[in-house]
Amino acid sequence: MVAQRKLMASPVVPVLLSLVVLLTVWEGAILLFKIPPFVLPSLGAIVRHAFTDTARLMGALSATLGEALGGYALGSALGLLLAVILLLAQPLERIVMPLAVAVNAVPTVAYAPLFLIWFGLGAASKVALVALAVGFTMLVSALHGLKQADQAAVDLMRSFGAGPLKIVWRLRLPVAMPSVVAALRIGVPRSMIVAIVGEMLGAYAGLGRMIYESTQQIDLLSVWSAVLVASLASMVFYGLLVWIDQKLVWWR
Amino acid sequence: MLELVNVWKRFGEAQAQTVAVSGVNLRIAKSEFVTLVGPSGCGKSTLFNMIAGLLPPDDDGALLFGGAPQRDGQLLGKVSFMPQRDLLFPWRTVLDNAILALEVEGVPRKEARDRARAMLPEFGLTGFADHYPHQLSGGMRQRVALMRTFLFERDLLLLDEPFGALDALTRSRMQHWLLDIWARHRRTVLFITHDIDEAIVLGDKVLVMTARPGTVKSETVIDLPRPRDPSIVLSPEFIGLKQRLLAEIEEESRKTFAQEGTAS
Amino acid sequence: MNAFLQRLLRSPALAFVGLAVVWELYVHAFMPSPRYLPALSAIAQDAWSVWPQLLRGFGRTLLETVLGFVLGALFGCACGTVFTYSRWMERSVFPLFVVSQTVPVVAFGALIVIWFGNSLLAKVMTALFLTFFPVTVNTLRGLKSCDPQRIALMRSFGANRLVMFFKLAVPSALPQIMVGFRVAIGLSLIGSVVGEWFGETVGLGVMLMEAMNADQVVRLWVVMLACGLMGALLYGLLTFVERRLVWWRSES
Repeated sequence: MVAQRKLMASPVVPVLLSLVVLLTVWEGAILLFKIPPFVLPSLGAIVRHAFTDTARLMGALSATLGEALGGYALGSALGLLLAVILLLAQPLERIVMPLAVAVNAVPTVAYAPLFLIWFGLGAASKVALVALAVGFTMLVSALHGLKQADQAAVDLMRSFGAGPLKIVWRLRLPVAMPSVVAALRIGVPRSMIVAIVGEMLGAYAGLGRMIYESTQQIDLLSVWSAVLVASLASMVFYGLLVWIDQKLVWWR
Repeated sequence: MLELVNVWKRFGEAQAQTVAVSGVNLRIAKSEFVTLVGPSGCGKSTLFNMIAGLLPPDDDGALLFGGAPQRDGQLLGKVSFMPQRDLLFPWRTVLDNAILALEVEGVPRKEARDRARAMLPEFGLTGFADHYPHQLSGGMRQRVALMRTFLFERDLLLLDEPFGALDALTRSRMQHWLLDIWARHRRTVLFITHDIDEAIVLGDKVLVMTARPGTVKSETVIDLPRPRDPSIVLSPEFIGLKQRLLAEIEEESRKTFAQEGTAS
Repeated sequence: MNAFLQRLLRSPALAFVGLAVVWELYVHAFMPSPRYLPALSAIAQDAWSVWPQLLRGFGRTLLETVLGFVLGALFGCACGTVFTYSRWMERSVFPLFVVSQTVPVVAFGALIVIWFGNSLLAKVMTALFLTFFPVTVNTLRGLKSCDPQRIALMRSFGANRLVMFFKLAVPSALPQIMVGFRVAIGLSLIGSVVGEWFGETVGLGVMLMEAMNADQVVRLWVVMLACGLMGALLYGLLTFVERRLVWWRSES
């Protein structure tokens, strides 16, 4: 009896149940309404196609992952760095922030064509695009987090003779961690999607390019397989981040 | 009007069980002002939550209200409860915060607002009807919360250390102002405090609670004359009462410290 | 006079004016290739030359964005509310919501046109897909963060759950819900622009695509600035609503 209750309370069961329901509805609808495969292929067909096409998919995946991870790392680092700089140089903040907000008001996708012109069709343009998308979120979150430090604590450190850099390193950064991590988490799915969007507009390789080509060739199974792979990769990436978060940022 | 018979409250199961309140027996008559003192952690707030109907007492005891035993949740809405924090809603004006309980009761807004407006001068809040909580001082916010408590016209008022967060000067002013209001409205009041002076100045009766598990250690009638002047704290009768109660409380406080020392 | 001058010097508007001036001067002085950085005056001229098309495109994209946002917000709030009060629904359906965000909607552009036809609805659907999730997450978080002591207070007044929902839970969740709205409106704009890439004739996204295909760099800048203007407008509107509706400082 207790074992049964424990099973019902486990976090996995409801998700599995709803996944099963979803899959059943999917396959069932296809069968029931005789949905043609160009509208909605069956999940089984997609998976089978993915297995036959593995080499191409993996190649595309590695290209996209490279761009996404590169841009993610670059954007996060730059965003954090800029936040620290702006914090230390207050007058700079007043000039830079409105401009940053304006830059961010333009949807990321609108920058894609420009970046393709500036950086070419190779990976660099996608990395830049991802960095832009991720960097601004990080800048805003990090700045907010850095400012959360209690003024009384800052004054205390100053009374110990700590310089501004030391205060940032020892007090403000740890306090900013939750905000920084939140931004890191948001950045993961976004970086994959932005990379793919960028590739769809122009690229030599990657899942986005594969999706674009397959759409042109009306090879919808390939489109769905690429989407499936992109989605799975994103989830793994996110899970990895959560794992790192739990292991390394232990003091929360 | 309120009677507690053998009221217990235990939390947790078997070995990890803590007894917050054990075998409390007390009686409060109509229009009495009863104060409850005790060391921290003695279960005062748990007791209050039970009287307000938020927590049910354990099965071996009973809560009688107006002579009738109360089952789980029956007391909700029957008692006017003021917790330690003012808990004002930041998005509501002073006036709208005051009428919160009335709104829940179903009183039409206009009527509720009129009633509250009439009470503003008594609570020293004239002219602040349309202010918001963040614009008020701590003392004023407590007054709004008290006004909310008084507007909810119930025979029994539960006040859980309402003046605890205020500085000593404000607190003394608030105590005498509360006595003024009570004298006029004559509701029954049960008032928790950890300050002995406050307990004696305000109460007709002082109940002392023991350290955890909390029970009523003693009941002392305060026969000081009303209305009570601020200078009453210097009178020999007051000091005598205080001496007696202080000794009792000291004993319980020591037990609490000892408990905290041995606990993990 | 002094105070007014001071305020003017501090306002963000100055940063923009300053940037515009620097931009023009730089271009005239250093004459960079117009492929990389055209002059602001050249951009203005081009914008003027296609003014009617630009205006129509702006209006159309704005309509899609707002509709997508409103529908996504309604759906998101409803889901957030359901998840708050039904642990079972939260544990079974919410993870699916999370996963849905890893799927690049962009890839489905062609499919969405097949499903919903080449219409306003298709673009709205794209926008809706991107907006419902942040609203759901923030509504959920906002409702759950309701102060338990205030809930106890309401209970002591004899309030039932419906009264507590409308008088306490909703107002106290509004600040957090507004955060969700801010994220959502930006994403809605992205969704509309991307949605227009697939079979549409009017809209900023269309103009973006056309400019890219025709290698018209100046036009790209025109569209980017137009998108930025729309973004700024929408965020500004939200800020205005936020100030009027949710002006109280939320207690931590």
